[in-house]
Amino acid sequence: MKNAKLNRRLFLRGAAGFTLALPVLPSLLEDEAEAAPTGVRRFVAFGTPHGGVWPQNMYPTDPQGPETMTYGGHQIRRSDLPMVANNGRNIISPVLSAASDVLTEQIRSKLNLVRGLDVTFYLAHHRGGHLGNYAENDGNGMDGQALTQHRPTIDQIMAWSDNFYPNLSTILERSLVIGRPGMSANWSNPGSQSGVVQNITPESNSLVLFNRIFVPDDDPMETRPPIVDRVIDDYHRLRQGNRRLSAEYRRRLDDHLDRLDELQRKLNVAVSCGDIPVPTVSSNEVQNQANPAFHLNASAQAQYWSLLNDVIVAAFICDTSRIASVLAGTYHSDYDGDWHQEIAHQSELPTWPFPNTPLPDNGGPSPQAYTVQHHQRFFEDVFLDLVGKLDAVPDGDGTLLDRTLVQWTQECGSRTHDPIELPIVTAGSGDEYFRTGQYVDYRNLNSPAHNANGDNAVDSHTGLVYNQWLGTVCTAMGLDKNEYESGQYGGYGELILSSEGWYAGQGKYPSAVLDVMGEELPYLKS
Amino acid sequence: MKLTTSPTPPRRHRPWAVVLSPLAAALLAACTGIIGSEDDAPNGPDVPPSTPTDFNCDPNAVPDALPLRRLSDTQYRNTLRDLVAYALPAESTAVMAEIEFQTAQLVADVAANDGGDQRYAKFSRLDQTVQQSHIDTGYYAAEAVGAALTNDPARIATAIGDCATDADPGNDDTCLDDFVRRFGERVLRRPITDEDVTFYREPAGSAPFEAADYADVIALLLNAPHFRYFVEHGQGGFDDDAVAPLEAYELASRLSYHFWQTMPDDALFAAARSGELLSEDGYQAQVERIFNDPRTTASLETFFGQWLQNSTLEPLDSRVGSPAFDTMRGTFTPTPTLREEMWQEVVDSATYYTEQGGSFEDFFRSDRSFAKTPELASIYGVEPWTSGEPPAMDDPARAGLITRAAYLATGSANTRPVMKGVFLRRAILCDPIPPPPPEAENVEIELPEDASTREYVDALTGGGSCGSCHTPLINPLGFATENFDALGRKRDVQVLIDPATGDVIGEAELDTEVVPLVDTTDPRTAADAVELTEQILESPKPYACFTRQYFRYTFGRLEDLDRDACVLADVKRSLDEGASLSEVLRTVALSDGFKQRSFDTP
Repeated sequence: MKNAKLNRRLFLRGAAGFTLALPVLPSLLEDEAEAAPTGVRRFVAFGTPHGGVWPQNMYPTDPQGPETMTYGGHQIRRSDLPMVANNGRNIISPVLSAASDVLTEQIRSKLNLVRGLDVTFYLAHHRGGHLGNYAENDGNGMDGQALTQHRPTIDQIMAWSDNFYPNLSTILERSLVIGRPGMSANWSNPGSQSGVVQNITPESNSLVLFNRIFVPDDDPMETRPPIVDRVIDDYHRLRQGNRRLSAEYRRRLDDHLDRLDELQRKLNVAVSCGDIPVPTVSSNEVQNQANPAFHLNASAQAQYWSLLNDVIVAAFICDTSRIASVLAGTYHSDYDGDWHQEIAHQSELPTWPFPNTPLPDNGGPSPQAYTVQHHQRFFEDVFLDLVGKLDAVPDGDGTLLDRTLVQWTQECGSRTHDPIELPIVTAGSGDEYFRTGQYVDYRNLNSPAHNANGDNAVDSHTGLVYNQWLGTVCTAMGLDKNEYESGQYGGYGELILSSEGWYAGQGKYPSAVLDVMGEELPYLKS
Repeated sequence: MKLTTSPTPPRRHRPWAVVLSPLAAALLAACTGIIGSEDDAPNGPDVPPSTPTDFNCDPNAVPDALPLRRLSDTQYRNTLRDLVAYALPAESTAVMAEIEFQTAQLVADVAANDGGDQRYAKFSRLDQTVQQSHIDTGYYAAEAVGAALTNDPARIATAIGDCATDADPGNDDTCLDDFVRRFGERVLRRPITDEDVTFYREPAGSAPFEAADYADVIALLLNAPHFRYFVEHGQGGFDDDAVAPLEAYELASRLSYHFWQTMPDDALFAAARSGELLSEDGYQAQVERIFNDPRTTASLETFFGQWLQNSTLEPLDSRVGSPAFDTMRGTFTPTPTLREEMWQEVVDSATYYTEQGGSFEDFFRSDRSFAKTPELASIYGVEPWTSGEPPAMDDPARAGLITRAAYLATGSANTRPVMKGVFLRRAILCDPIPPPPPEAENVEIELPEDASTREYVDALTGGGSCGSCHTPLINPLGFATENFDALGRKRDVQVLIDPATGDVIGEAELDTEVVPLVDTTDPRTAADAVELTEQILESPKPYACFTRQYFRYTFGRLEDLDRDACVLADVKRSLDEGASLSEVLRTVALSDGFKQRSFDTP
């Protein structure tokens, strides 16, 4: 395996102090020139908590030249993704804006903004919904409590798919799971897809992650065979011995043996990451040493995520992993208080809801203003940081970004607690699968969900089903439908129709919408 | 050191099951069945189960057949440390430093509740997932330990034996076999058979041996299932029974890992080896010895710390500089460590009463300060506790646990009665609270400028579907401590502060009188936290809740209220009889359920 090379721009961004980890990477510049193999797809999923960004802050206004078509029984729309320049910044929407040398025209052309995809039932306080494990929620409402059957998330289905990984000879980590727990889940025995579905414990220390995907040059003196085969024998010895074992014991031992098989595979991986030196600063150190305090320190937060993004980029360059799922838990704003209660739960209100009350310590314009600030900073400092780095690495005829689908989803739609109009921001074509540079709108404008009134600034509409997005991503990443689809309808993830009469989406998903769930979403395929 | 608090009075159970005030009845109408006896709960699919306060032991009930438990991250690290110390006593610190790179990669457990509370009373032992990273990092750590223990002849001589480095190659085989027997017993926590010796020495090949040969043998042992898991077959002769008593070595591991978070020591291995541990006297003697060992304190600190941690307490220094917080704090400037000091004070109070023979009630209503730093002690107006008898807080408003700073402070300028109430209801009383209704957000209210936090919270949460739970279940438990500010300091009035400027704009009177409904059939009012504390202690709920939390910590899983009722009943009985905390905590090890393993799935 040869490494893709880094270009000068990436180095310069690092040298400018954007991140401490980037000086690690330019060493590839000198001695590696060959791009990663064409046809290799990569997937990165960012998830952020809460959401609640008003439509006018998330989406562009009045996009030019929309195309329309009837799909799922209603009219849907697309247009080119508009962007305007203003005072050194490029702006798609208040949230999707960044410095003009970060959100460049080239980057814009590789983005997609998708609107009008819903979970068909009330789903709040969840972590697993981003990638299809809706049961990973706090049990809110009858709908939330009805979901008890956890299922693997699509990143893990990819990670154990022979179609996604037809050749594992360089892969040390089938997936990187980063940030907070709950976004990524898989079988306890992923090889046989059996056992219990469990959350995958994430890692947020960039140095620890780096060591999982980095392979130092082989020690020529090290010729001793590993003992893993003997370890496997030991577990078989117990599993097949004549001492009493419960069925649960045997299941657990089988799970362990499956993991040992994976370890044995990894011990035989032949890969070189060149002479990349080990980073000297970790994300944990940045977090712990931040001054001012990390949660109010935009610069430290950007550096923290930059270090983690560097690991993802390094893994893709080394080709030691092709999947990363990241559930962020940081709030990128100046608000110093109880974000959950004081911002997220109030984000729909047009003004600060507590005049002359002692709750907000530092006042502020409105919960929505902080919501926008947080999401905009995440977009620029985290999402575009990774996107820019991937786009700076040549790969075949394009860049690493062109072989990658990077998606950013939010826990809720334009109202907190409400999975209607879940915004999806993507970058990269996933190896030419996606047509990019688009704003795609699947809403049914004749199916209102929430109506703006004095207490609510949000108009929303139901549209197509989020499961269809997840199925489209699986298809784009090379999976067969029989690897992920189940149940009466297509796509990925459990489908229940809300039983809650108050829910804005109740009874608004007709068969015309459900019947197309197994199809690839329109407009997106190149 | 003698305990100076007054003796625990016998606990009273008031017979108010037949008394229900109109107020309470009205409050419960919208939230019935959430707490209280099962008789009170109406039938219906949406009614959460009542909190059980009695555990009815059926001796014929068989606990569920359990998965193979793994060592927790803490237990794994401690065991590695102790094995290194066993092999290389004089160099264990150096060896652990040498393998720091590998141990830094180990996967930390995620405090979990297995479907229970999402926020409070989560125990890392309940994280029983086995993931690829566990296997990978453990493998590399084992390799590193093997290499470090054998990386020079002196270490080999100490760890393996002088026979491994002497001039006589003829004794190398015997030397290695002896090492596998000796070291293997500690690693695998079971007797080593001849078959084991043959198996584990295989990577070394035939004599003479190199350092790497020994290293491989050590690494293989440290990857063994008996090392990474609690493998329990139970005693022979019970193969047709659903439940089998544990073997002596298995019992030794249960004891040491529960109380010490690490492997058995020499004495415990000896008791297992001799079979003494299987005798009633021998077992009780070991329980006493183990419990009184200082290592038990660390494990109990983990239990109390994870059970009682107020995870919603934000850093206390981060808002220094914001106008409202600065006005509220006055000349007191919280440091970055204050939050941890508050958490630690709670743990210290629990371990103090455990070590001093105090009861659960002593711990819960203690008027002593366990603040070790001047900063935290100043909140209570006492001197820091250094040793001996902790200073009394000398403030009648301090009612014990629920008025410790860890549960009053918020990190902001404002108190948070709702969060205080939820903590007590969930972590201390084990009452379930339904999740907030979906329309709970975005409530706009109008209040006069001099409204107190209590009035504000009442207005915000007291109506509609919010009110059905907030009014009876949550808010009163938080209102009772509103005579303390957001740093845990006593206050007589609430100072109202303009959030934008920090200007004082007025004062609001405080009202701590509540109807806490600790038990749904108890209509009494509580004037303040002191009376609330007494009502809590008169209820069976905190004792039942403590029992359940301790079960989870002990067994690394959620309890089954029917099939695990015998163990639960044993611990609860001990609490009901007013036993000391140390006796209660030991009781679990004396319960039959601790000493057996179930193989049956009904």
